[in-house]
Amino acid sequence: MTEQRAARLGLVGALVVMAAQLSVGAAWSLTHDDLSELALTTRCLEREKGLVVEQTTDDPVASSAGGGTLRTTVEGGLVTLSVATSEAEVERLRAAYAVGGDPGARLDVHGRYVALWLREPSPTQRQVTYDCAY
Amino acid sequence: MLFAEAVLLVWNAWHYDWLRGYDAFANARYAEIVSTEYRLPSEAESGVWHTPPLWFALAGALGRATTTIGWGHAQRPGQLLAAAAGLATCALVFFLARTLWPERRVLHLVALILTAASPALVRASAMYHPETLAVALATGGVLVAARALRTRWTPGSAAAAGALLGLASLTRAWALPVLVAVVVAVGLDALGRRSWTPVAVVSGVAVLLLAPWLVNEQVAHGSALAFNRPPPAGSVFERRPASFYVGPHTLRAIEHPITPLARNELVPHLYADWWGDWALTWDSPPPPAPGALLPSAVVSERARQMLVGVVPSLLALAGLLALGLLAKARRSTALAILPLSAAFVVAAYVVFAVRYPSTDGDTIKGTYLLMTLPAAMVGAAFVVDVLRPRRGAWATATAAALAVLVAVQLPFLVL
Repeated sequence: MTEQRAARLGLVGALVVMAAQLSVGAAWSLTHDDLSELALTTRCLEREKGLVVEQTTDDPVASSAGGGTLRTTVEGGLVTLSVATSEAEVERLRAAYAVGGDPGARLDVHGRYVALWLREPSPTQRQVTYDCAY
Repeated sequence: MLFAEAVLLVWNAWHYDWLRGYDAFANARYAEIVSTEYRLPSEAESGVWHTPPLWFALAGALGRATTTIGWGHAQRPGQLLAAAAGLATCALVFFLARTLWPERRVLHLVALILTAASPALVRASAMYHPETLAVALATGGVLVAARALRTRWTPGSAAAAGALLGLASLTRAWALPVLVAVVVAVGLDALGRRSWTPVAVVSGVAVLLLAPWLVNEQVAHGSALAFNRPPPAGSVFERRPASFYVGPHTLRAIEHPITPLARNELVPHLYADWWGDWALTWDSPPPPAPGALLPSAVVSERARQMLVGVVPSLLALAGLLALGLLAKARRSTALAILPLSAAFVVAAYVVFAVRYPSTDGDTIKGTYLLMTLPAAMVGAAFVVDVLRPRRGAWATATAAALAVLVAVQLPFLVL
């Protein structure tokens, strides 16, 4: 076997493997609607963190978030998570929460996720919400 | 090229917050205990007690020396040790390519450049972590073995190969598959030459160095290859969902290659972490985010890395396959070491990742497969060198493509 033939066969094999992997990804994308960030977060909190996720019912600020909102309890701490659709909306939500008084460390912004905790969260409580932020 | 790489790795080691590296605090505790109390840490004292002690002893001793003279930063010497090992790996890959194809300077240079510009190596070289030292020692062992297989074995070369591979395995367990690959290649060579002395010396020296550690693990923790947590109960085939094997979010991971997307999907998760920084431990704002937004540039920079990595990854895989075919056709055990070691490391890693599933994906990291880097990059360089047209314009195009590969990555690679 010449080096050229080995290299060509190797390249063909690598292309087949890469094409197969990309085909799986493409087939999945075509046959599955991309879940929203809120749906992904809900699934993560429920399946990977074992938490119970509820709808947010009494928080008009969270309910106004373009990406939706959910509520759950992490290590005994109640948190309302809102998903903003833009950085501008993050700032709007942050400002809206501050209208009734500065929430301080109870308000935690991570990417496009705005979390309002009932009480100041511990690092491990915050980390749970970060782990499920998409 | 090596000077530029040295500057890059030292700069990064100097500027990287050591606490952001993998298992940083557990590594520091291990190094402190082994270098001050001259014993191994217990399971309660360090989460990485299952890692062999060589790097921790060196990093700990260097840290003590620098604090004694008043430098005050006990971890920086360990980071610089990792950087030196990363640089040594680059040089050893160059010499490995030169040993296998002495006349082909383009191949040597391409192998060096691809290795030096590998994000997984650059990132690991800045961390307070043993991975790069293990890779450098194992690559040294492979180099000695490949050279001896191409020429002839001497007692010295066999002992050196065994010692380097034994020390590599005494640094990270990922060197064990490389040791096995070398022993298999040397064994196949011995079949033809009807001389078993090199096999006996290589494996004997390696086992001599490694045996105390393995025996200690077996006695103290019930398994010579113990990990920091027991595997879950139940069949090994049910421990990972189908998504782990097929990676359905491959396309999405290319445009958004950061945690938690594609978490625990083996190929996209590994690819995103090898070429980028899936877990956000490199140059992004340190987690937890201090009430700030994750800059959009963090995601776009990593998405660019995903595209940059496509061609080198394709070439690396093609190269490993090509070298395997060529080694079989020519019955060349020197060539066979590379695809064998890569295949054994990947197989061992997949078994590990399936055996120890984790919800947060901490058993899927690019650095876990760093041991495959020398074989993969030499293979990629082989394909480039064999398939490139020999006319002058194409030589310029090859050089330009390599320059672009490096230049495009520099904003990510330089801290």
